[in-house]
Amino acid sequence: MRIRIAECTVRYEGRLDAYLPWATRLIMVKADGCVAVHADGGAYKPLNWMNAPNTLIEDGDTWTVVNPKGEKLIIEFGEVHFETTRELGEDPGLVKDGVELELQRLLAETPEVIEAGLKVIRREYSTPIGPVDLLCRDSDGGTVAVEVKRRGEIDGVEQLDRYLEFLNRDSRLAPVRGVFVAQVIKPQARLLAEDRGIICVQVDYDELRGADSDLLRLF
Amino acid sequence: MRIRAERDDLADVLARAGRAVSTRSPLPILQGILLEVSGGRLTVTGTDNEVTVRTYLEVEVTEDGRSVIPARLAAEAVRKLPVGAVTLASNEGEMEITGGGPRFRLREMVADDFPKISDVAMDDSIQVDGGQLIRALSQVGIAASTDDARPTLTGVLFEGEGDSLRLVATDSYRLGVRDLDGIKTEGSKIVPYRALRELGRTIGSGSMSILLGDREAAFVTADGRLTVRVIDATFPNYGQLLPDGHSNRLTVDKEALLEAVGRAALVAEDHIPVRLAMHAGGVELNVVRQEVGEETEFLEGEYVGDDMTIAFNTRYLTDGVNAVDDEKIVIETSDPLKPGLLHGAEKTDFQYLLMPVRL
Repeated sequence: MRIRIAECTVRYEGRLDAYLPWATRLIMVKADGCVAVHADGGAYKPLNWMNAPNTLIEDGDTWTVVNPKGEKLIIEFGEVHFETTRELGEDPGLVKDGVELELQRLLAETPEVIEAGLKVIRREYSTPIGPVDLLCRDSDGGTVAVEVKRRGEIDGVEQLDRYLEFLNRDSRLAPVRGVFVAQVIKPQARLLAEDRGIICVQVDYDELRGADSDLLRLF
Repeated sequence: MRIRAERDDLADVLARAGRAVSTRSPLPILQGILLEVSGGRLTVTGTDNEVTVRTYLEVEVTEDGRSVIPARLAAEAVRKLPVGAVTLASNEGEMEITGGGPRFRLREMVADDFPKISDVAMDDSIQVDGGQLIRALSQVGIAASTDDARPTLTGVLFEGEGDSLRLVATDSYRLGVRDLDGIKTEGSKIVPYRALRELGRTIGSGSMSILLGDREAAFVTADGRLTVRVIDATFPNYGQLLPDGHSNRLTVDKEALLEAVGRAALVAEDHIPVRLAMHAGGVELNVVRQEVGEETEFLEGEYVGDDMTIAFNTRYLTDGVNAVDDEKIVIETSDPLKPGLLHGAEKTDFQYLLMPVRL
């Protein structure tokens, strides 16, 4: 992890053009290649960022980050106030809360709830950036990565997208498609997922638990 | 724009249009309401891009114009002014709201960013009594699902049925059907109940025109207009669920049954059912919760059929009994595992089909 606090401007050239004028900011370059530009506020969300994989070209006071789609993040530096690099090692990942873990367990037992004919290959399948919740095989023999959340938000879709990026590098598994499963999926998350070819599935936790199994349905 | 109106009238049109505004909208402009002044009339529009509410008010106009201001804040600001005349004046990107001394200056949003919403022509609309429609919707609406995972079930089906307009809603556990006689319409449309629930509070209950279009449904009264995107889906084939007749028929006093189920619900949790043991002379209600205790009582009534015990979810049963608009309730049953049918002893235009709980 490389961290730099510096005066900078940031220009993004891609699907749209965006510009951050001169100000003091924190720039993070992660081991996987992600570059994020943060202000002193706004919780976890960077002002601008470029997901891995990408290439960082350092040319004096200018960094150019280019991804395979040709999108560019150009950071021009003024005074550098602080800089450090430290290896963080492998992260154990988020410790899931009870409900999310239980949801994953229930889905592993009944993957056909997600998609007809789906079979679980392994729970918590390891990737270099963390374990994907369920790795499955669909009825056509294709590989499916399933990410399970209580609430489906944009960061969950981003997380699954990163897993897919790595899983698809494995020729034994590729092509791997993604399924994002949650009790409720926000419209923005659904839009992003569909834009990236990820299928969204909403599931009813109570129904999976069989809490209402005595309550009969009309249809 | 510059207008003058009575505080209560202005607060009313702002608040009613503001009910369509979602505080959770990702688009800041949708947290605003659009004010448009022309021809001596103020039109207020609030929308979340799914539901749009438009309200109208005759006002004293000094200058026509349009402006978008924060919905909640504007409505609250006007409501909290002293009683009397209120002036709204737009100037250099700010809306000044004054009346009886206090003065608010609210930053205007960019009016051109507000969604362009055109009113659909109401040429093929049907005319209904708004009060009657709202009451009918509240009867079937209890059966509408709130689960966004099954969007079809979050709506109410509007369907032409002979010379009646039929309203149907179901969450798969229960089904509400209400026929409004004398309202002739063709085809069927599914309209989100979350919008229909707002009809009374946004456009009032007077004489109402309804247009059920392919994309939108519009409801118009003298007080305003509510439009909502219809749900493009196929409603479950509910007709096959409605029985031609049941073998058992219990008739009891509505209020007495409500009170009895209310007492049973004290002991029951949501998933613990109340048992109805029906036999000649009435019904015995019983609920048992292992770790707490039980409640039992007998309710007199008329019963025709074989002795039978059936169990229902207390909340679903209460909803259904409440929705029946009659002094006496009829519960028709045929089997402990088949749905029971509730309706009034005299008024049968509302039917509530309820699945039992397995004992």
